Amino acid sequence: MSQFFMSILIIISGGFLSLIFAKQFKLLKFLAVLLLSIGCLTGLVDVVTKLLQSGTSFASFKYLNIFSLTFQIDALSAFFLVAIFLVSLLATIYSFHYMDDSKHPVRTATNYFFFSILIASMALVVTASNMITFMLSWEIMSLSSFFLVIYKYNEPENRKAGYLYFVFSHVGAMFIFAAFGIVYGYTGSFEFSAINSLPETAKIVVFIFSFIGFGSKAGIFPFHVWLPYAHPSAPSHISAVMSGVMIKTGIYGIIKMYVLLSFHTLLFGNIVLIAGVISGILGIVYALGQHDLKRLLAYSSVENIGIILIGLGIGMIGVASKNPLMAALGFTGGFLHILNHSIFKSLLFMGAGMVLHKTGTRSIDALGGLVKNMKVTGTAVIIGSLAICGLPPFNGFVGEFFIYIAGFNGVTLTKSAFVMSCFGIISLAVIGGLALACFTKVIGVVFQGEPRTNAAVDVNEKGPTMLFSMSILAGICIVIGIFPQLIIQLPINAVSALGLGFDNTLLEPFTKMTGNITLSATIFMVSLLFVIAVQWFFYRGKNITKSGTWGCGFTQPTVKMQYTGSSYASFILDFFKPAAPLSEDHPAIEGRFPEKTYYKSHINDIAELNMNRAIVNPVLFLFDKLRWIQHGDIHLYIGYILLAIVLLLFFI
Amino acid sequence: MTESIILWILAILLAPLFAGIIFKVKAFFGGRLGSPLLINYYTLIKLMKKGSVYSNSTTVIFRLGPIISLCSAIVVLMFLPIAGRAPIFSFNGDVIFILYLLGLGRFFTIAAAMDTASPFEGMGAAREAYFPIICEATMFMILIFFFRLTGELKLSAYFAGSSTMTLWNLAGAPLLFIVIAFFIILLTENSRVPVDDPATHLELTMIHEVMILDHSGPDLGLIELGAFCKLFFYSTIITKLILPFDYGLSAITFGLYIAGLIIVYIAIGVTESVIARYRMDKVPQFILTSFALAFFATIITLEFLK
Repeated sequence: MSQFFMSILIIISGGFLSLIFAKQFKLLKFLAVLLLSIGCLTGLVDVVTKLLQSGTSFASFKYLNIFSLTFQIDALSAFFLVAIFLVSLLATIYSFHYMDDSKHPVRTATNYFFFSILIASMALVVTASNMITFMLSWEIMSLSSFFLVIYKYNEPENRKAGYLYFVFSHVGAMFIFAAFGIVYGYTGSFEFSAINSLPETAKIVVFIFSFIGFGSKAGIFPFHVWLPYAHPSAPSHISAVMSGVMIKTGIYGIIKMYVLLSFHTLLFGNIVLIAGVISGILGIVYALGQHDLKRLLAYSSVENIGIILIGLGIGMIGVASKNPLMAALGFTGGFLHILNHSIFKSLLFMGAGMVLHKTGTRSIDALGGLVKNMKVTGTAVIIGSLAICGLPPFNGFVGEFFIYIAGFNGVTLTKSAFVMSCFGIISLAVIGGLALACFTKVIGVVFQGEPRTNAAVDVNEKGPTMLFSMSILAGICIVIGIFPQLIIQLPINAVSALGLGFDNTLLEPFTKMTGNITLSATIFMVSLLFVIAVQWFFYRGKNITKSGTWGCGFTQPTVKMQYTGSSYASFILDFFKPAAPLSEDHPAIEGRFPEKTYYKSHINDIAELNMNRAIVNPVLFLFDKLRWIQHGDIHLYIGYILLAIVLLLFFI
Repeated sequence: MTESIILWILAILLAPLFAGIIFKVKAFFGGRLGSPLLINYYTLIKLMKKGSVYSNSTTVIFRLGPIISLCSAIVVLMFLPIAGRAPIFSFNGDVIFILYLLGLGRFFTIAAAMDTASPFEGMGAAREAYFPIICEATMFMILIFFFRLTGELKLSAYFAGSSTMTLWNLAGAPLLFIVIAFFIILLTENSRVPVDDPATHLELTMIHEVMILDHSGPDLGLIELGAFCKLFFYSTIITKLILPFDYGLSAITFGLYIAGLIIVYIAIGVTESVIARYRMDKVPQFILTSFALAFFATIITLEFLK
């Protein structure tokens, strides 16, 4: 444990030092990046060795003689720590050239301070081993990320995003409090181990409450509304960490509660799987409809959380129906996707950050042709896109492959387990197809074709640390995609530590499957080389000329004629109209000398629409009526507090 | 193994020949003599002899498009039991790999189209991204059906040797649905009428053809060859489903196989001759029919196999 706390200490000291040297821009950045990187790196080395030895370490501190803060690193926490430290490390390195606003050194220093707090608190969340410690770390994590979201607080939309995130994370935390409160009410203990002794009905309520609470952090539909606002507002390396690992702490919470409750009913599996399917499909549909690159990626995180939940849901159904192979495969697939998603999503956010940094716009339809000037960024983003679509031979495929096999194992079951497995498989297929459409849109419209506006002309991709981080992540995507056996031990250890009634005896199918994935990737690579050789053979000594694109007879093409992201997606979105209504603003062209016209479209998120209608408006109405309670007299407020406490004493 | 490799090479070499049958059938319905059966070879040779013109807008991705689409098609054939014989490679889960590999090919075809900055190619790409989504759902529904019957996730467990016959004996009636569903997928994935018309002359109405407008010379040849291989892949599956008989390594097996292939290609030709292309917004309904069929087939097997 001491090495773990040492790394946390180094990370936090990096944050504090950057505040101390807030006036010297270069020095603060150098110190912060150096210490944060060292902290993450030592932490990473430590947890990887811990995970491979799969031991458990433990530490406890007394705090104010009332609460004991206890921490524990088991295989499950170590697995999440790997993702947290890896992504934070690369995001920190990336930030060195990204944070170049030397006019606002104090703001940069504050950013690094909260960034260090965020990394540390995420690490503490997944190691906390009683409810008090957990909630404490959880709140620190939510608050520090809130301050990171409002980094550019002078823009009203960022403040709105921050506010929305604040409300969501606290309503979520309230649900977790409620769940923990039920546990405390029954057992009178803050220990996690007490959860097991609840009666069954209470277990169901606790699971549902914590699912909602953790789901609002993870971005499960319909609690995802904050994601598409918060991610675009935060600086890109923060978005990478938030989307890549912070939302995974929500998934960690769900898994942890499931393990602690140790109540293996089909109901939990069904809830998780259905939530996963809805998040997955709607997430990627909304992503497809976005015009803002970072909003698109945020919605795509909702989709990937959906895929992870499908894997976990299938695993839970496998546990409940006593099918150890299905359970092991489902959980391992879900865990692998957690790790994989943190890698390619942070890569894509870093790519989007580079685009934003150099062009100054996040609007997809304003860009185009960037790959010509941004070779490394373009290649990295293409690799990230291929991986996120789950295509072989990239890492996204590996996790989805396991989830598919798990699902097919469930197809042989009967009744609801059969229906749910089919549901999971088909949705995964549909999600895959939609993701392909969504990310060909990103590649095709942002990086290919011709620049649509001046913002995309004459860009460069200077910033070695940014390129370094992206290249490393892209490299990891390929390596895991071809040699999954290199990391398969990490999720397997994490899953077998869950203690769900199956253990390492099931290792054999995994080694076989990873071998098959390597084999098929090798076949593909060899064939690719062969076809490239064939192409080279036929082009040898040939006359190759350059010309304009064939305009089908039209001789005056302009860049404005290119297909835009909106038109590319409109065909598919039409199919999903009931779930994703489109609002358009387009004054008609009238008269002989028509006015200049425009076209605006916006894809509406039904969760957001209904949230406004069903929750926000009634709440506003109610509180408007209660406004008389608040009239600014502080004595009266103290009176309220006293009254509330006295009233409560009657019940306790 | 050598036998499988020889069959694989033959499949790639003969795929253009069978595609020629479709032209003949269409010519017959049009009352014409039609082009010679070997027309596709002449086209390929002509293309391979030429040089290329590349658009100024394009990048290296444009050149990767043809390579990866052909590569994915020939790798897919390696996993396919040709004439019911064992494929070169086979492992549990290879079907998932194959479907995603075809997805990879599609990704790069779309990316190559978007690379040209042409509005027409963008339009084709948008359609190409849309329709296969429903096809994939159908394919996985069919896989669920097969998995319930065989408990395996590999092509060789469904289409090699006598296994197809076993499938018919287990669940003959629902398998009829699957054959029709497969045929609809074949028409969609290979851009045939009524989903797409490869012979149309108006770019606005095309899907696949418009995406490769800017490819020329050997690049275009590679794309064409890839398309022939892909069509051959789906045709072989349907052939084995409609003629599931197995006579070991004998002339009868190959005779039946070739006869089956000819039937499938003639069926494609007849379909193209007697119906027109659907309006674009009707196409999803047509493809969804295949999903409904596969779905019902699976539901029926629930009752058959208790």
